[in-house]
Amino acid sequence: MKSLEKQKLRFIVCALIIPMVLLIGFVVVPAFDLIRMSFTNWDGFSKNFDLIGFDNYRAMFKNKDLWLSLRNNAVYFFGHLIFIPIELMFAVLLTSRLRGARFYKTMVFMPYIINGVAISYAFSYFFSPINGAFNEILTMVHLEGLIRNWLSDPKIVNIVLTFVSLWRFSGYHVILFMAALQSLPQDVQEAARVDGANAWQMFRNIQIPAIMLMVDFVLFDNIRGALQVFDIPYVMTSGGPGYASSTFTLYTIDTAFKYSNFGLAATMAVAIMTMIVVIYLIQNKIIHGLILKGGEK
Amino acid sequence: MNRRTAQQGLKQVICISMVFIVLAPILLTLFAAFKTKADMVNTSPLLMPPVSRITFANFEKVLRDKYLLIGFKNTGFILVVSIFFNVLFGTLTAFILERFEFRLKKVILSLFFLGMLIPSFVTEIARFKIINGIGLYNTLGAPIVIYIASDLMQLFIYRQFISTLPVSLDESAMLDGCSYFSLFTRIIFPLLAPATATVVIIKAITIINDMYIPYLYMPKNKLRTLTTFLMNYANAQQGSWQKLAAGIIIIMLPTIVIYVFFQKYILAGIASGAVKE
Repeated sequence: MKSLEKQKLRFIVCALIIPMVLLIGFVVVPAFDLIRMSFTNWDGFSKNFDLIGFDNYRAMFKNKDLWLSLRNNAVYFFGHLIFIPIELMFAVLLTSRLRGARFYKTMVFMPYIINGVAISYAFSYFFSPINGAFNEILTMVHLEGLIRNWLSDPKIVNIVLTFVSLWRFSGYHVILFMAALQSLPQDVQEAARVDGANAWQMFRNIQIPAIMLMVDFVLFDNIRGALQVFDIPYVMTSGGPGYASSTFTLYTIDTAFKYSNFGLAATMAVAIMTMIVVIYLIQNKIIHGLILKGGEK
Repeated sequence: MNRRTAQQGLKQVICISMVFIVLAPILLTLFAAFKTKADMVNTSPLLMPPVSRITFANFEKVLRDKYLLIGFKNTGFILVVSIFFNVLFGTLTAFILERFEFRLKKVILSLFFLGMLIPSFVTEIARFKIINGIGLYNTLGAPIVIYIASDLMQLFIYRQFISTLPVSLDESAMLDGCSYFSLFTRIIFPLLAPATATVVIIKAITIINDMYIPYLYMPKNKLRTLTTFLMNYANAQQGSWQKLAAGIIIIMLPTIVIYVFFQKYILAGIASGAVKE
């Protein structure tokens, strides 16, 4: 028996040692290192740096461009939030009796797997002021008056980019909602139908409660995703004009790798991590608890 | 009966509109890729050029670019090595965390959980120094190490799959005198094949599509991947959409092909990763 214990221990150690070293070395240590760096004025390459206390934190809170970037993140968040009911509708639609449901399911998820850089360029072309398809469509339906510089007008650029983000990521949520709906036992739905429940009643009283946990997950995914929007604005506008379409992550990355202010960038990274952890805790402890309690009734 | 037909009709209209929106940006780019410079101006962006004027010159130009092949090779190499280790470590870690009780298990679990919670983009600010320090900057090793160490979604998929395998399986194998190592290699690992298929395909798509890590760590021309190739190509074609369009289409193709053939595995894995949370 003792040798079996020993054998077990040896197996565990041998199997976990490399993954643990990698995880600690390349994920855990950098995460804590960010906190240390946030108290320095390190520029990313020189050997020397000074400890500057909370200066970076003060500078971060005073930085107007960063606040503007964070507001831009909010545009993505609200865009995706408004889209949740539409995503739900598609999930219900695609799990209902529908001819061609399989084909539609394939199509709804396709944007998610397409190369993000490639599709960002494709949308740059779509919205381009010269030979752009979107302006052509507006002209065709005699709405020439609406034509704008879609990607360089500070007032609308974020909405255009959010549209691209919706195009790319909504299908992911539809698939998640579909999975939740399909895990619902068929006999419950069948019984309700026999009892004469209409589609709305089915949706309201049976399907919605069953997928609340998934709605909860998607909400969290929305916040996390919105805070980390990066490649769409990076490729399509580089955050411009000015900082009009910058996002928190984009601004942080630029602060480090473009302006070599690693200390300040680390401070912003700490801020993003804190926001994500706090939101996770709120979601996990409060909202999660409420939903599970509600489900027991 | 009539109502049902109307309902089905409405559903079809909604779904067809969705398909239209999904395909529009791709098709419009494809149209542009077939146009000559003159036709970009003379024809509507919403239409294919007349058949007699369709040109393949834009595609030829991309396919002749020597960096496309280099990008293809680099992406392929990163893909194979990263996924090999992701599968090896992923199955082992998930098996141990799911089936064994031991000291420090809680600590290890929370470390992995932390790893999944930490936002990946901004962590590069600190990771950059480490990668630089061990001499992996501007080598294929940088993305490989990062993908193996930090992309942890496979743990969800494997743990969920292992939890459906009966524990009696392990016990009887051990009674037959299997060592833990052979229990894993001979029994558990082969049973995980469907989950592995999912992991391999989802990882392949994630790695092919990743822009940020190769862009940040491998600025060298010879180390371009498919995605960073497209970024360089786009900068070089400034303003001539028809040429860039052909590049966009070619870079989109690999993941679309993988998706069309293996979507069953992809959709299964996407859902199981989330449900677990």
